[in-house]
Amino acid sequence: MNDHVLDDLDAYALGALDDADAGRVASHLAVCGSCRADAASLAEVVGALPDSVPLREPRPALRERVLAAARNGAGAPKPARRGWSLGRVRVWPMLVAGLASIVIVLGAADVAAYRQLTTLSAERDNYSLVVQSFRQGGRVWYMAGSNDFAGSGGTLVDPRAEGKQPFVLFHDLPQIAAGKVLTVWLVSPDSTWARAATFMPDGRDVQAVPITTEVAGFDRCAVTLDDSPWGKHGTVVMESRIAPPTTTP
Amino acid sequence: MSDQLPSDDALLSSLAARDLGALASLYDRYGRLAYSLAYRILGESEAAEDVVQDAFMSAWRGAASYRRERGNPRAWLLSIVHHRAVDILRRKTTFRPAPLEAAESLPGDEDTALSAEKNVENRTVREVLETLPQAQRRTIELAYFGGYTHVELSALMGVPLGTVKGRMRIGLQKMRRALEGTR
Repeated sequence: MNDHVLDDLDAYALGALDDADAGRVASHLAVCGSCRADAASLAEVVGALPDSVPLREPRPALRERVLAAARNGAGAPKPARRGWSLGRVRVWPMLVAGLASIVIVLGAADVAAYRQLTTLSAERDNYSLVVQSFRQGGRVWYMAGSNDFAGSGGTLVDPRAEGKQPFVLFHDLPQIAAGKVLTVWLVSPDSTWARAATFMPDGRDVQAVPITTEVAGFDRCAVTLDDSPWGKHGTVVMESRIAPPTTTP
Repeated sequence: MSDQLPSDDALLSSLAARDLGALASLYDRYGRLAYSLAYRILGESEAAEDVVQDAFMSAWRGAASYRRERGNPRAWLLSIVHHRAVDILRRKTTFRPAPLEAAESLPGDEDTALSAEKNVENRTVREVLETLPQAQRRTIELAYFGGYTHVELSALMGVPLGTVKGRMRIGLQKMRRALEGTR
């Protein structure tokens, strides 16, 4: 039952596991003090590796860039160069999902409004304005599906408003095999994975899944296809890039 | 004089209280090392700067949720830099694994090796690495700095996965013993 992960701890410490294996190890470490102690010891050794690197001076402007970003509540240095690649993702469902997110957050997610939203045309400028205004009120991370989930996606919404629960709004989820489940994970800056929700696609174009875990302290999210709601971590089918910065009020 | 400087823990506490001065101090303390690590992994100054900025912003935003069991603040910050840089490396490298020769010529191994002699402040770790058998050192460096998974390394080096794991395990054990001997 309690399969230790000693065999993978060295690769885990070096960051040499793929996301699925790293998630499996992280899940085990969360519940196993013995392996956690070994992992901490290895992390200390690996933590010395940066000291082997030839030191280089960054440009002096970087210091001011970092401080300015903190001062302004921004963090993404060059959005144009780091823009999200839409790849095979269809833009229209993302638009609908994004707009529907706003409606839900505002507490006005009635069927009529949703239908009205789905009839809106995908005017890029309008969408941009809506997203921008929404982002001032919370965090939004987009996950793009890959492989069998290409074309699907999910928007994790962490509303700033008190009493509003975070959720993920998925679009175009494919059907999954009987007995399988999808798991939403929150990933911390040091790549600790925390299970946030387990669900199955309901067949609709857009599906909202509530998140039961506090999002603060995490900066990425992912979805895995698993054999069960517990136990080993399955295949990563969807993941966000590094989270865009939170806009401070 | 040095004992008047705030500890790393104190700086993180101040960061959590949104003290920009603490962020500046943290940058002054670790910005150069963070940039050097990111540059070693990515080999591009612009990308390395982006990673450093992301990492410090992540620390700025996440200081309140920092827990000591994740490692000391320095290790925590550098682990963020490492994860960010490797993440970018893996995303931008569409065809992997690269030939071993190409991987070995990552920045820091050739041209910068000479300058390393001049500007590496803490040579101990490099010296420890150099005492490892080549296969173990190469495995550890390609994993940590090259962003290769152990499965990729197995294919890249043409050895069974178990051999890769063994090289990692024995190499890190030797490093631990050697580093303990220097403290």
